[in-house]
Amino acid sequence: MSYVIIGNGVAGVHAAEAIRRIDPDGEITLIGDELFPPYCRPMISLVLEGAVTPDALPIRNDRFYDDLGIAPILGSRVEDIDVDNRTVKIANGETVPFDKLLIASGADPRPIKAEGLDLKNIFYMRTEGHVRSMLTALPKVQKALVLGGGLVGFKAAYGLMRRGIATTMLIRSGHPLSMQVDAAAGELVRENLMGRGLDVRVGASVTAFEGRGRVERAVLADGTTLSCDMAVIGKGVLPALSFVPRDKIGVDLGVLVDAHQETGAKGIYAAGDAAESTDIARRSRWVNAIWPEAVDQGRIAGMNMAGRAVAYPGSLSRNVIRIFDMDVMSGGVVTPETDSVYDVIHFHDPKRKRYRKLVFREDRLAGFVLVNAVEQGGVMLSLIRSETPVVVPRERLAAPSFNWSTLLPRAG
Amino acid sequence: MKTVVVHPERCVGCMQCMAACATAHSRSKSLFSAIHERPLPRPRVHVGAGLCNEGFPNRCRHCDPAPCRMACLPGAISRDPDTGTVLIDPDRCINCASCAMACPFGVIRYHADPLGPPEKVVAVKCDNCIDRQAEGRIPACVEICKSGALAFEEISVAMKRKTDQVARTVSSDVGAAPSSPGFELLKAVKKVEAELRASGR
Repeated sequence: MSYVIIGNGVAGVHAAEAIRRIDPDGEITLIGDELFPPYCRPMISLVLEGAVTPDALPIRNDRFYDDLGIAPILGSRVEDIDVDNRTVKIANGETVPFDKLLIASGADPRPIKAEGLDLKNIFYMRTEGHVRSMLTALPKVQKALVLGGGLVGFKAAYGLMRRGIATTMLIRSGHPLSMQVDAAAGELVRENLMGRGLDVRVGASVTAFEGRGRVERAVLADGTTLSCDMAVIGKGVLPALSFVPRDKIGVDLGVLVDAHQETGAKGIYAAGDAAESTDIARRSRWVNAIWPEAVDQGRIAGMNMAGRAVAYPGSLSRNVIRIFDMDVMSGGVVTPETDSVYDVIHFHDPKRKRYRKLVFREDRLAGFVLVNAVEQGGVMLSLIRSETPVVVPRERLAAPSFNWSTLLPRAG
Repeated sequence: MKTVVVHPERCVGCMQCMAACATAHSRSKSLFSAIHERPLPRPRVHVGAGLCNEGFPNRCRHCDPAPCRMACLPGAISRDPDTGTVLIDPDRCINCASCAMACPFGVIRYHADPLGPPEKVVAVKCDNCIDRQAEGRIPACVEICKSGALAFEEISVAMKRKTDQVARTVSSDVGAAPSSPGFELLKAVKKVEAELRASGR
């Protein structure tokens, strides 16, 4: 049996390990774009910040490919999949045959439309390489601009501020973390960051960058200009799927997969940021491009590829971010539309800077936002994932005293 | 292999396990000097209040496979092969709280720890007192527990006893094994108190 895995990110690595545990003899080829050993992508912002050095990033040691008997093809992207003849074409024209294929190509930064993007010191922050080039530029940077108020934007802004660089964040929507939290929590985050010296501007977007060779200022949609000597674009990611033949393999935003991470084309699987699976909380298809999903989906795909049928109940949105002294965790459905099937309860303690929002669908928890005191978030995510009916009073879940035993049946 | 078995129906909520745990994870290992240590040693077992204020000693289950270990970004969580204990390496931990999202029991806390790197906030949870076990001693929470809510025993023995208990309840002439009347009384009082609070009296 020959297995080909496209992508040496966390989904690809876990898939390879799962395959090897079940099939000791199969040939595994792993095609990866990045030359750096398999590493922890969410930690690159810590390198920017200076909290860790790049040698803390690898998630496997440098003998990983040898130890598992994997043939790596690194530094090149896949150009095409020939579904009928079961081959993958690589950029240098080489073709690799497969019996089972995994698309774990991950995602690329969402590009923005603006003039002057070819100027120096304009960065995306997605790879270890991106952060390395940012670090090279940093010594001459005094004023930075961060585009986007999502997780990447925040991590970039936080890292730059820790480096002592005056940073301005431009957010198109009305509040930060608009994909992760509701407006109330977003406002708490904004206040906190402004208090720490971050210049946050909402409802702002860039139409052009200007400068002589190097970026010197940005022109905003309202005509104003902002001087800067560095810009970081963090406008989310899009699945990297340019090589997927859409007439043979179903693609929506991501590659459509079933409960076994298999696509409509038999023997071809997808996992991680490139895959679109059923979202447990939303009860619809969704690309949950997050690290823990990539770990799980990679393992599940690998086991199924190696012949062990294992079903995956679906994915779940979730995220946690710590910014200065503020912790924000969210999961599932966080901003349901009004007049929908969802009920929402709130808890807010401004003095302790604690905020909790719980979203219910009928008798089940469907989503939540926690600002500070996030330790019990895993219990809530577990309630959502297992679709356990909540039989205790709902306010008890929002209360600060909530803990696992709150969910136990009444004594006596 | 012995493991800590929790009998929640016997927990009276005295929280002595928390004090004993914090002391066991202090530098001085003595309650009287531990309270003067900085950072203050903190418990890794957490007595939470249930709906009627009944106690529940919530501690790490050392799950296998462990969701926190799978979710850990820097690979700081591992399993000790001898005791099956899930351990967090405070030097590798980056305090990202990914494990807080993964733990279905909510047993992980985040603070500077006397046994970790100085002044670094890290994820902290139960380590089954493996240092004490290596010296032939039992976990501190079990040693201090006077009501039998925490026991250190072979899991197969505990399972057999529970199975027998369940089996006895289905034979009509025997009935459930009697437990100490004190536990029933305490539970009844807490339940009435909770009902009074709920009705606003």
